[in-house]
Amino acid sequence: MSIKKLEPAALNRWVDGILQKQKVYGIQARGDKFVFDQLDRADQLRLDYDVSVTAPKAFLQPPCETLLRFGEKGFESVVESEPFVLFGVHPYDMAAILQMDVVFAEGNPDIHYLERRKNATIVVCDVQNASENVFAGCMGTAVLESGGDVLVTRVGSAYVVESRSARGEALMETIATAPVAGARDLGERKAVWEKNRKLLRRHELKVKPEQLPALLEKSYDHPVWEEKAKRCFSCGSCNLVCPTCYCFNVRDTVSYNLKDGERERVWDGCMLAEFALVAGGHNFRKKKAERYRHRYYRKGKYLHDMHKQIACVGCGRCITACVTKIANPVEIYNRLAEGQK
Amino acid sequence: MSKPRVAIFDFACCEGCQLQVVNLEEELLDVLSVVTPVEWREAMSEQSEEYDIAIIEGSITRPEDEERVKKIRERAKILIALGACATTGGVNKLKNNFGMDEVRTIVYGKDAAMPHLNTMPTKSVAEVVKVDYMVHGCPINNKEFTYIVRCLVMGKQPVIPNYPVCVECKMRGNVCRYEYGEICLGPVTRAGCNAPCPSAGFWCFGCRGYVDDPNVQAAREVMDKYGKTVEDLKSRLLLFGSKQEHTDE
Repeated sequence: MSIKKLEPAALNRWVDGILQKQKVYGIQARGDKFVFDQLDRADQLRLDYDVSVTAPKAFLQPPCETLLRFGEKGFESVVESEPFVLFGVHPYDMAAILQMDVVFAEGNPDIHYLERRKNATIVVCDVQNASENVFAGCMGTAVLESGGDVLVTRVGSAYVVESRSARGEALMETIATAPVAGARDLGERKAVWEKNRKLLRRHELKVKPEQLPALLEKSYDHPVWEEKAKRCFSCGSCNLVCPTCYCFNVRDTVSYNLKDGERERVWDGCMLAEFALVAGGHNFRKKKAERYRHRYYRKGKYLHDMHKQIACVGCGRCITACVTKIANPVEIYNRLAEGQK
Repeated sequence: MSKPRVAIFDFACCEGCQLQVVNLEEELLDVLSVVTPVEWREAMSEQSEEYDIAIIEGSITRPEDEERVKKIRERAKILIALGACATTGGVNKLKNNFGMDEVRTIVYGKDAAMPHLNTMPTKSVAEVVKVDYMVHGCPINNKEFTYIVRCLVMGKQPVIPNYPVCVECKMRGNVCRYEYGEICLGPVTRAGCNAPCPSAGFWCFGCRGYVDDPNVQAAREVMDKYGKTVEDLKSRLLLFGSKQEHTDE
């Protein structure tokens, strides 16, 4: 696997070359925030960003997508996807994508997600600036040992670019003659990783992530659920910005001939009042506190029970997105831990 | 099966929601393939007293309006309230913050006492007659309108969101207005509009009315976090929330 050192101008030339051949969604500025959007020129890239407004999951599981079209004669599946490069994904978001890969592949494999994933080349980029609420350092996702196709790390005034898969190797074909990163560059990269593990901790989790399932196990009747849920709008913002929230709703729309139509799926969230509403008008999580508690159990226990991974990567988006500031997982888990002492 | 006959009636409003229906332009022909309009003052000259679906635009603001809408209800199998003036009373309920004599004097000056200018506190359509379906918004989202029409023609229950506008903001990748220190009514307002105002850089005005169980109390409690007061929030709620349940609870 190649590992190159590129000066900023060389990195831009490399990216401009990719742009001539492929569609690239790259991290760029929008107002005073950062978003992943279609890239026209390499110099739009902002690899120094802190966090993207929407998690990059939106390119693998869009907010709204058509699953199938139906008519009198039956139906056909719709898979809308073409090859693309996702450029500038932070390690914590990549960690979330790796979790989604497991979720969407198990049981009844989800062809819509998997096809997009197959079409995606992901360039991970180490964090240069910590966002306001990031706590990836506490979740073991500040730095990612593997995952993604290419890793880009800023070291001094240059970048170390390493391929991590055959697909990444192919993306780096055009920089095959660029200088190989030396031992000193790799040492500097290691220093960046060490720094990020320490720095990406705007909130300090006082328990180890692997202790969360056991902690939650004992906290079902803790007063914190009721207390925090009083201020919950049931707006689902914490769900929708979360890179590991993947729940969706499915709905049919019928055209004017009242025969043909489309089945689409849209993002859903367990904090919404009608998320657990089922046929007959029964809602098995009617109360705000039940929904609020469920979210933490889902992240810290239920998914761990299934996949042995904590479904929180410490991006901190939920903390920022919650208008009433009740959605800080670190605050909640620390509070539960306090009671255990 | 013959196509359902539809009549559209306007009461106190700007008629902008009807205009949204007219604005469907070529899609209007598709709508006409599933229903037959028999009365629609803004778009045709014919009138009729026989219809299956009555669509009511506007608020009920005079005693004679009340009688008229009751008659329409008797004749219709299905009654739909169209737009904020009809569904919640909308901006017309601003009037209910004042005495009726004061309102008449402010608007009509020396003619205030003329009998044909009689007025009463604004009511939504549902405060006078049973409403089967609501098309929310100021103005309505005409795609939602046609969705509801298609559902009714198929005998299917339309699904109208009962979650806040924040959901659609997040799906569109908007940055929360609160992050810019603005009071936005999105967290307590019913979605379904696809968040056009926050997407254009404005706060949500709350035109679709509250979700079923809005946490207005939480909105009040959080004001100081954003350097605002409860009075600031109240003044923003006035436009579409005046004299609505939840606003002053």
